[in-house]
Amino acid sequence: MSPFLRRPEAAAIISLFAILAFYAALGGVNLGTLFGAASWLNFAANLGIVAIPVGILMIGGHIDISIGAMIPAGSMTIAILSGYYELPIWVGILGTLSLAAVVGLVNGILTARTTVPSLIITLSTLVVMQGVVLAGANLLTGGSSVALTSPDWAKSVFGSLIGGSHQVVIFWWMGFAAILAFLLHKTRVGNWVFAMGGDLVSARNAGVPTTRLTIVLFMLSAMSAAFVGMCGAIQFNSAQVSGGMGYIFNAIVSVVVGGVVLTGGFGSVLGIFVGTITFAIVSQGIYFTDIDRNWSSLIIGVTLLLAVAMNESFRKFALRSGPKPRASAQAIAVKA
Amino acid sequence: MSFGILARRPETGSLVGLLLVFAFFSVMGGAVFIGAPGWSSWLNIAAEVGIIALPVGLLMIAGELDISVGSIIPASSVTAAVITGYFGLPVFLGIACGLGVGLIVGYVNGLLVTRTTIPSLIITIGTMFVLMGLTLGLAVLIAGSTSVFLVPDPTTKLLLGTFIGGMFNVSIFWWVGFSLVLFFFLHVSPIGNWVFALGGDRVSARNAGIPTAGLTIALYMLSGFAAAFVGILQLMTYQNAQVAAGQPFIFNSIMCVVIGGVMLNGGAGSVVGIVIGTATFSIVNQGIFFSGLDPNVGSVIIGVLLLTAVLSNDGFRALALKYSTKKR
Repeated sequence: MSPFLRRPEAAAIISLFAILAFYAALGGVNLGTLFGAASWLNFAANLGIVAIPVGILMIGGHIDISIGAMIPAGSMTIAILSGYYELPIWVGILGTLSLAAVVGLVNGILTARTTVPSLIITLSTLVVMQGVVLAGANLLTGGSSVALTSPDWAKSVFGSLIGGSHQVVIFWWMGFAAILAFLLHKTRVGNWVFAMGGDLVSARNAGVPTTRLTIVLFMLSAMSAAFVGMCGAIQFNSAQVSGGMGYIFNAIVSVVVGGVVLTGGFGSVLGIFVGTITFAIVSQGIYFTDIDRNWSSLIIGVTLLLAVAMNESFRKFALRSGPKPRASAQAIAVKA
Repeated sequence: MSFGILARRPETGSLVGLLLVFAFFSVMGGAVFIGAPGWSSWLNIAAEVGIIALPVGLLMIAGELDISVGSIIPASSVTAAVITGYFGLPVFLGIACGLGVGLIVGYVNGLLVTRTTIPSLIITIGTMFVLMGLTLGLAVLIAGSTSVFLVPDPTTKLLLGTFIGGMFNVSIFWWVGFSLVLFFFLHVSPIGNWVFALGGDRVSARNAGIPTAGLTIALYMLSGFAAAFVGILQLMTYQNAQVAAGQPFIFNSIMCVVIGGVMLNGGAGSVVGIVIGTATFSIVNQGIFFSGLDPNVGSVIIGVLLLTAVLSNDGFRALALKYSTKKR
């Protein structure tokens, strides 16, 4: 097998082409129309900004489902601060990101300091934040729908439509992916993430500041989720309180289709990026096909199971035939 | 019982939580909450989520998760409704096929979990999506609608979907029955010890001769069956199967289990704890409507209970280790 199949993003790229071929052959989709459409790209950008930090957390051996509450929380916080209380928009942005940082900090500290799995910890903060956001909004503003009028600069930076159809968050997603790809794959900190996900105890013994790293990763995912909610509120001029829960499984599926191993130590930002595009094309691209959209969940499930099966067999292969002397953190981590 | 034995039990903390929550809502909700309307409202909720939380909790004791229950509930009720309500075949056939869907999905989950190294969270998310798509697609294809009706005969209605005294759903008795059977299974029968061994250390358990693969598959079939059974109970109660129902049960069942002291970190937990956790969850969930508080405060209370359970878990472990090392 070629070196391509050893890469974590191999299965994601194969899945993407398989889905496109499937839609083109059986769904009669016009690929030109599909690629020109904004709907799936907007969907992918919003999901992708959350999926990348969630995926990096998973490479580090943890999971964060509290993002499902942080998206509406971000939306509501900026609407309350800059809409209801009419504070300057930058105060709202800072307030939103600070709140998310605090939630991420709590997730990180609890995960690092207890033996309870991060799934359970972030499930707890998910429920707390759901309640706090909605009850807080009712208490402060007397309702759960809060309007927000943003100044032009904020509107164009965070919530405008380019060419009338493409959300500006697409650029944020791409920039975010580029920065995190650099940090994860080209810096020492990135190597620490792989080391931590591969073997937490060994990583700590080797001098990796695992507690601080865990906290920073949880803060990153909470802040990214709040950022997505914030951009939505700025774009639609009001807080969007529903719809966060769907992101939980969608983000996990995108990350796993993208070749990240949930048990940690293996994956890439490029893979998560392609996995998110695959997910978006499956779920939104189905509207461009002749296939009844009711089947989209079935296609998502089958794609997920096939992608993880491919990932597993490729990883076994990588383990057997990977270059021996250049034992990177990835190769070490593969043993998990 | 000495303080040590009592404090070492994982459900002690959960019981304290239950009593506090009940006392709080008794004060806030007053006579209505303490009377039959209050009891029936939270018991009806507790029965449905509790029947699923029990096997999900057993899986978590064994170190695994099952997300697919959220799709099994509607898959089972839609299957039974299509067979009996739409095609007019006998009701026992509809029920058998509905329960069969749960058993088959559980078997597939168990097989995939034991045959691959893919975490059960991912596998059951995959089967959840597959089953969700199949239910939606086939319901529309066969019955032409996302909602299928079924009017059960009096006997079926009495056994599976009646409100006793107009308030208490018969599902409460089924929940009690499930709890007793699973209590016997986990804490009395020898197989129960295998479940704890599986969650404690899978490799050692297999080396000790425990049929780990068979046991894991059986546990998944149990959770699939329980979810399918709840789907049937809902169908017979509301006489209508919705393809989209069931998603809230995924996290709700896990929350009941966690409040009951099972943390997924393997090898610890009890049926009594899960039942207490389910009751606590349901009292908050329903009590909030009797209390006059903003219903969203209920989420905050449940979240705080979860965090308390998470934080006390390590404390209880330390205590358990401290007391168990001393010989009486």
